[in-house]
Amino acid sequence: MELQGYHVKLMQLRREDLEMVRQWRNDPKIQQFMLSQSQITPEQQQAWFEKINNDPRHLQFVIYYKDAPIGAANLKVISGDALQNAQVIEPGLYIYDDKYRANLLAFAPTLLLNDYCFDTLMAQKLRAVVKKDNIAALNYNQKLGYQVIKDGDLVEIELDKLNYEKVSKPLKRLLSR
Amino acid sequence: MTKENQDKLIEAFATALNIDNSAVTEQLAYNTIPEWDSTAHMVLIAELEDVFDIMLDTDDIIDMSSVAKAKEILIKYGVEM
Repeated sequence: MELQGYHVKLMQLRREDLEMVRQWRNDPKIQQFMLSQSQITPEQQQAWFEKINNDPRHLQFVIYYKDAPIGAANLKVISGDALQNAQVIEPGLYIYDDKYRANLLAFAPTLLLNDYCFDTLMAQKLRAVVKKDNIAALNYNQKLGYQVIKDGDLVEIELDKLNYEKVSKPLKRLLSR
Repeated sequence: MTKENQDKLIEAFATALNIDNSAVTEQLAYNTIPEWDSTAHMVLIAELEDVFDIMLDTDDIIDMSSVAKAKEILIKYGVEM
């Protein structure tokens, strides 16, 4: 499966991507903001892939810009048996390539994922849990219209379609030329 | 870039980011100050397009990560040196 738009491409995670993604995920610059701080071994990565690969509640992607992999993204069901039937979906992503981490391009894969969730999967809401010290992610999500529903060491944020459409319009215009 | 265009560039950055002209240095980069976030970046693009009467491609909007880079990109669009 592949999603394309806003100058980026999201390609479903393949077996041959696993080592690259594992190394990204274990890099302290990414790991520090993950809910789990443990190092992932190749065996764990393999086992995780076997578990989620055909699970209808998960989709894992590698983000490409100009044919180069720059990060990873995923969708998962909060509750329910499949993404197609989910009312609430949890999207997640990180940009690994430093050139695009603090860059407007970082919004492109999220716009693509959010459009897919709201327009194709017909989700009612998107939800995310962000560590309180991940200020960049909180600001980033706020720019996309997310609202805080529960504060704490872990901040729970939510986005509905109406708010997303309203807030994302100028970003979409810039990234759709 | 002519002195006049350099002044216009500084003014455009200062206006869009709501910062003092003196803060607009070559090294100033996207997301390194609170004032230059994604919202301000969009305002900045609109300002630059208006001031220099150009239409930037998305790749250049993405690439415009610093004042120095903005100069490079504007030159590509025929803004005089």
